[in-house]
Amino acid sequence: MGIRQGGFQRKSKASDEIPSSSMADIAFLLLIFFMVTTVFQSDKDRPIEWAQAEATKKIDEKKKDILNIWVERDGSVYMNDRLYTMEEITPVIGPMYAASDRHLLISIRADREVAYQHIDQLQKQLVAAGVVRIVFATELERRMTRERR
Amino acid sequence: MAVLNNKKSKVSDEIPSASMADIAFLLLIFFLVTTVFPKDSGLAIVLPEESETVEVNQKNILHIIIQPTGVVDLKRGESSQVQHVRPNDIESIWRQGVAENPNLIAAVKTHPDASYKFMIDVLDALQLGGATRISLQLFEG
Repeated sequence: MGIRQGGFQRKSKASDEIPSSSMADIAFLLLIFFMVTTVFQSDKDRPIEWAQAEATKKIDEKKKDILNIWVERDGSVYMNDRLYTMEEITPVIGPMYAASDRHLLISIRADREVAYQHIDQLQKQLVAAGVVRIVFATELERRMTRERR
Repeated sequence: MAVLNNKKSKVSDEIPSASMADIAFLLLIFFLVTTVFPKDSGLAIVLPEESETVEVNQKNILHIIIQPTGVVDLKRGESSQVQHVRPNDIESIWRQGVAENPNLIAAVKTHPDASYKFMIDVLDALQLGGATRISLQLFEG
C-alpha cells in the first residue's frame, strides 16, 4: 500500500471502448422515427378526374415551390384543403407569390369535364396576382395503348 | 438397405434462420432503391404579365376555336375561312404553319361551356408540335 502502487497509476477496470453492440438498435430506432414523422404531402388530393396529355412533362421543381389549385367539376376551387371563391384567388395568391420571390409555380389540377370558363376566370385571377409560370397538371397519355402510368 | 423408408436423413428439417436478416436487408435495400415517389407532371405554360398587350399582325396568328361539342375550328390570319379539324391534326398543322411562317402564334380560343379536356387536347397537340408562343383566350361571340 505504498504511494507508488496507488494514486495516478491505478488502472480502471471499466472498458474504455464505447459499447457497439447496441448501435444497430439505435440505427433502427432512428430509421423508424424518421419514417413515421416524415410528411410528403402538404395538401390532400381532391377527387378529380385527371386530364390526359401526350406532351406531359415532369416538373423539375421543389415540392415547396409548387402550389396546387384544385378545380372540381362544379367549378369550386380548393387550395391547401380549403374552399375559395374565384374573387379570393388574387388577394390570397398575390402575397404568397411575392413572398416566394416569384419562384412559386402554380399547378392547376382541374377535372377534365369542368367548363372552360372556370379555368379562364382562374387564369385571369392569377394574371392579376402577377403569376407568370403555371402548369396544367395532366396524366401522361400514350398514343397507342392509352394506358395510364 | 432392406427397408428404404427407415433410412434417416442427416439433413436438418429446419429452415436455416441465420440468413434471415440478410434476406430482410436485401429486400429493404431493393425497395429503397426502386421506390419512386409520384412527381408532379403536366403542361407548363407562361402567362402574360398584367397590362402586357402586344399588337400582333393578323398574318401571324393561327386562330384555334374550341366549340362546346369538342369540334375545333381553324382560322388562319385575316381570312374568315373556317376549317374543321380534329385535335390530333393540330400537331401537323402547327408544324406546317411554323415552317411557312416562323413568327406564327397560336391563339387558342375556348368556348366558355367547352370542357377543359378539349382545351388540354389542343394544348397537348400544340406542345407536341413544339409550339411555345401560345395564347389562351376565352371565345366570345
